[in-house]
Amino acid sequence: MTAMIEARHLTKQVATSEGQLIILNDISLRIEAAEAVAIVGVSGSGKSTLLGLMAGLDSASAGDMFLDGQNLSTMDEEERAQLRGRSVGFVFQSFQLLPSLTALENVMLPIELKNDKDARRKAASLLQRVGLESRLQHYPNQLSGGEQQRVAIARAFASEAKILFADEPTGNLDAATGAKVIDLLFSLNAEFGTTLVLVTHDDRLAQRCGRLVRLVAGEITEDSAVETSGVENGTAGEASTAGDAAHV
Amino acid sequence: MSDYSPATTASPVTLMRVALRLLWRDWRGGELRLLLLAMVMAVTSVSGIALFTDRLERALLQESATMLAADRVLSGRQMPPREWLDEATQRGLMTAEVQAFASMVFSDQANLLVAAKAVSEAYPLRGELRVADQPFGAAYADNAGPARGEVWVESRVLPSLGLEMGDTLYLGDGEFVVSRVLVQEPDRQQGGMMDNAGPRVLMNLDDVPSTNVIQPGSRVTYRYLFAGELAELDVYADWVREQSAGDFRLRDVRDESQEVSDALARGESFLLLGSLFAVLLAGIAIALTARRYSERHFDYAAILKTLGCTSNQISAIYFGILLSLLLIAVVVGSVLGWLVHEGILLLLQSVIPIALPEASFTPFWLGALTAFICLFAFAMPPLLALKHTSPLRVLRKDLADAPLSTSLPYIFGIAGALVLILWYSQDVLISIILVGSVAGVALVLSAMSYLLLRTGSAAGMRAGSAWMLAMSAVRRRRRQSVLQVLVFSLTIMSLLTLALLRTDLINDWQAQLPEDTPNHFMMNISSNQIAGMQSFLQENEVDTNPFYPMVAAGLLTVNGAPAPHPWDNDDDASGRTTMTERAGAEQPDDAASGSDTGESERPQRVENRQVTWTAQLPPDNEVVAGNWWGEDNRPGLVSVERDYAERIGVTLGDELVFRVNEQEITAVVDNMRTVRWDNMQPNFFFIFSPGTLDHLGATYLSTLLLQGEEKLLLNDLLRQFPTIVVLEVDALIEQIQSIIAQVSSAIELIAALVLVAGALVLLSCVNATLDERFRENAILRTLGAGRKLIMTSLLIEFAFIGLLAGVIATLGAELSLYYLQSEVFQQTFSLHYWVWIAGPLAGTVIIAALGFAATRKVVSSSPLSVLRQLSA
Ligand SMILES: Nc1ncnc2c1ncn2[C@@H]1O[C@H](COP(=O)(O)OP(=O)(O)OP(=O)(O)O)[C@@H](O)[C@H]1O
Ligand SMILES: [Mg+2]
Repeated sequence: MTAMIEARHLTKQVATSEGQLIILNDISLRIEAAEAVAIVGVSGSGKSTLLGLMAGLDSASAGDMFLDGQNLSTMDEEERAQLRGRSVGFVFQSFQLLPSLTALENVMLPIELKNDKDARRKAASLLQRVGLESRLQHYPNQLSGGEQQRVAIARAFASEAKILFADEPTGNLDAATGAKVIDLLFSLNAEFGTTLVLVTHDDRLAQRCGRLVRLVAGEITEDSAVETSGVENGTAGEASTAGDAAHV
Repeated sequence: MSDYSPATTASPVTLMRVALRLLWRDWRGGELRLLLLAMVMAVTSVSGIALFTDRLERALLQESATMLAADRVLSGRQMPPREWLDEATQRGLMTAEVQAFASMVFSDQANLLVAAKAVSEAYPLRGELRVADQPFGAAYADNAGPARGEVWVESRVLPSLGLEMGDTLYLGDGEFVVSRVLVQEPDRQQGGMMDNAGPRVLMNLDDVPSTNVIQPGSRVTYRYLFAGELAELDVYADWVREQSAGDFRLRDVRDESQEVSDALARGESFLLLGSLFAVLLAGIAIALTARRYSERHFDYAAILKTLGCTSNQISAIYFGILLSLLLIAVVVGSVLGWLVHEGILLLLQSVIPIALPEASFTPFWLGALTAFICLFAFAMPPLLALKHTSPLRVLRKDLADAPLSTSLPYIFGIAGALVLILWYSQDVLISIILVGSVAGVALVLSAMSYLLLRTGSAAGMRAGSAWMLAMSAVRRRRRQSVLQVLVFSLTIMSLLTLALLRTDLINDWQAQLPEDTPNHFMMNISSNQIAGMQSFLQENEVDTNPFYPMVAAGLLTVNGAPAPHPWDNDDDASGRTTMTERAGAEQPDDAASGSDTGESERPQRVENRQVTWTAQLPPDNEVVAGNWWGEDNRPGLVSVERDYAERIGVTLGDELVFRVNEQEITAVVDNMRTVRWDNMQPNFFFIFSPGTLDHLGATYLSTLLLQGEEKLLLNDLLRQFPTIVVLEVDALIEQIQSIIAQVSSAIELIAALVLVAGALVLLSCVNATLDERFRENAILRTLGAGRKLIMTSLLIEFAFIGLLAGVIATLGAELSLYYLQSEVFQQTFSLHYWVWIAGPLAGTVIIAALGFAATRKVVSSSPLSVLRQLSA
């Protein structure tokens, strides 16, 4: 069976004033459907870059990237955008809500973009699911960081994506709020059976994923199964362990 | 696994819905208000100005048409074919017929030479006849014209002939009852001295045959008058030209009155320039605000892309936003434009006494089209750059404005501006001048800013003193600063140019026809009458003006070679006629007056000009080459008007031979003059030194200012000096003054409108850099910089930019004024010294005040809230 996400000898380098800078070097990685993978590493190690490549937000300098069975390297930005619309959801460190739209409208957006007439109802029920049913008409700047991130999570699941990419989703939140947001993320993830790729440098957060990939200076130095501490994602952990063994 | 149907991608309807929602929400956030305001401004100024000029121009043409008593006139010494009148009637034009001739009229006691004028029923087609029931009585309008067997006469005819109202007057074989006193006829000035020598007697055209005064060889001026739709008139004019193989031409008021046509042409050029500036300024405002809007929307575009929007869908969304804005702007702007023009008309009620013709729909199209062009040239490029936003931006904020750094927006903007300028002016000259001065400003600016800002590109934020802080801010935002200075200087330049042009035009007009402009010409005065007339006028407390000797002279040779005909290379065969000649000689005919057999015997066409001699340089004349001869003159010198000299290729020291009263006179060109042609005063192409022509039997010419009751003196004057001819130009002067007053008011208002557009640009330009200032100052304050320090530094920064802009703007304004005045407005340019102080000063003060007011928020809000807002 094809993997949900597969990177083959992925390399990313950029031209800087001091010459070519290699950000990612020969990354190969395979992630199966419904797996939850944490990507960890120190700041500047290339985590966000890898996430961007996997999600098709950027294109690699060399190597192939498969997402949901499609080769991103052969697609242009338009096709990648359509693929993102169909298959990918995002949660970002800085929330990335559209400030001029209300919480409800933010969540409706991906549903509407799929021409779904039922956007309003679906968005409202998702917001209810994340506990914000009373804040539908509020604008992002009227919400706290945790609330904004919950809206972002609702939006990520609104598109009924198969894969969810999260880049430091708790980076801008305090520990307690962060934990709540993470609980929510994982429970929704389990509920929807989504494949989750989570970038973090918080080891405790990484522990909740079934698998951990460590980046050091653009190279994978560790790819291992994790003793999961979460109850909800036990199955995902097992699946990833299996896939892991086969892959590495 | 790619089992997705294409239906899952967003439909146009969905995209439009998203666009409308973003539009609505952004509106709520105030984001779009400036952009919309700028677009509304563009539409308002264009449609408002266009509506106003559209109606005013037609009104002015209509009013000045009264000077002809028609929209178009065909005239000749011979009667044009009658079928032409029928043809015009068939084409739906109104027609009337006039015959003018000099004739003696008799009463039982006396006789008098009068200017008789016979008119058909329909006369006058434009304007009105004003009559009274008693000599010098109260006037009222009566357009019916004299019935058969009746005549209307000017007041002074009655005392001259010893007649009362209702008495009988004889003209040729005809007998007429004097039924009305004629006070005013619209086309009194038409025809030359022959037609207007003496008081008017107006009669019915059908009575002319019975008088038997018109015999083969008598001098009659035939005029056909036409009025109707302008388009139809033009078609008919072409038809007449074809029919007559160019011998006849339909003339309109512009052919008849140089003064009016000059005023109209300048007024139109100014209004045009005004609306052009208004649109360009609005365009700049649109570009700036659209740029700011799109900068804020890079994040939106990136997020939308992560949500699966393709580049094209993003373009579609922002296109939808722009289109909706365009729609709103066109509707709101058109309504406002209508209100503005109504407001202008309301303000001008006192100067525009006539009912304006209905406006056409064109101005609205013009407004909408302008908004459309502005949108595409100025707003579209930055917004379309959004589609190139990398979705990676959601992960890495520093992938900032890369898409905008391309030159595309500038190219679009410049191209759009060029299209607008050309389209509006329809005039390559104005376009070149405008584009040239803008390019000049940009060039000077780049050089200056390069020099001024070159130092310390690495300068950090040295928070030591406000001055240092300000200067380092200017340098840090070097690109932005240069752009700001550019925008500010263009804005101030436009305003200065318009303001100065306006002042110069209005001053010029006031100098042209001041309140005390003499409004009567006295001609055919013999030298021994001068003393008597002077004492008569002094007794009656009327100011006297110089008496100019006048004689007709034809230029035969220049340095021995036959003189070239001055207007040979000109389409307008009549060329420039001096007021003197217009008063003294016949008007040029449309039909080649072949009956003047005396002319055809000569081997060459010799143009007769009325010339004079004097020791004093007449007022409004200026010597531009050589020296005026003054009192210690010698005979045999001539002073030539400069442009005329150029046309006939004459320079200082040339020997000219003239024929004056069948004698040949030689004179050497001693100096050249410029003349104010539009001042309605005696002006001469050639002035001789005293002693050159004195023996050749000149008559004298002088002018008088007679107002109201004083006009009655004319009767006594003419009784005492029956041989002189008086030409009354008071009505004409009044008409021109009123037209000029209207055009002046229009100019004032347009200048004000452009001022508003300018203010808008300044505001949006300051606003454009607000975000960055917010961020920077919040950081500075968290670093401990005091409020006062930051405020002072902001003030200095803006004042510096304003000063720079003011200097460059002054330079640019003077430069473009130089070209505009000398090439387009036919004025003489002189430096405006005070502007060199006022321009930079105004720049400094206005920009500092505006910038300071706009950025005061920066310091008054807490650093935390600023940082929070900005990082979201
Ligand atoms: N377009 C680019 N141009 C230059 N350098 C880049 C570019 N993209 C990434 N880098 C560099 O590559 C390295 C990796 O960046 P990346 O954002 O992936 O790190 P990260 O692991 O996500 O760090 P953090 O934990 O701080 O978010 C950094 O040193 C970054 O400066
Ligand atoms: Mg990162």
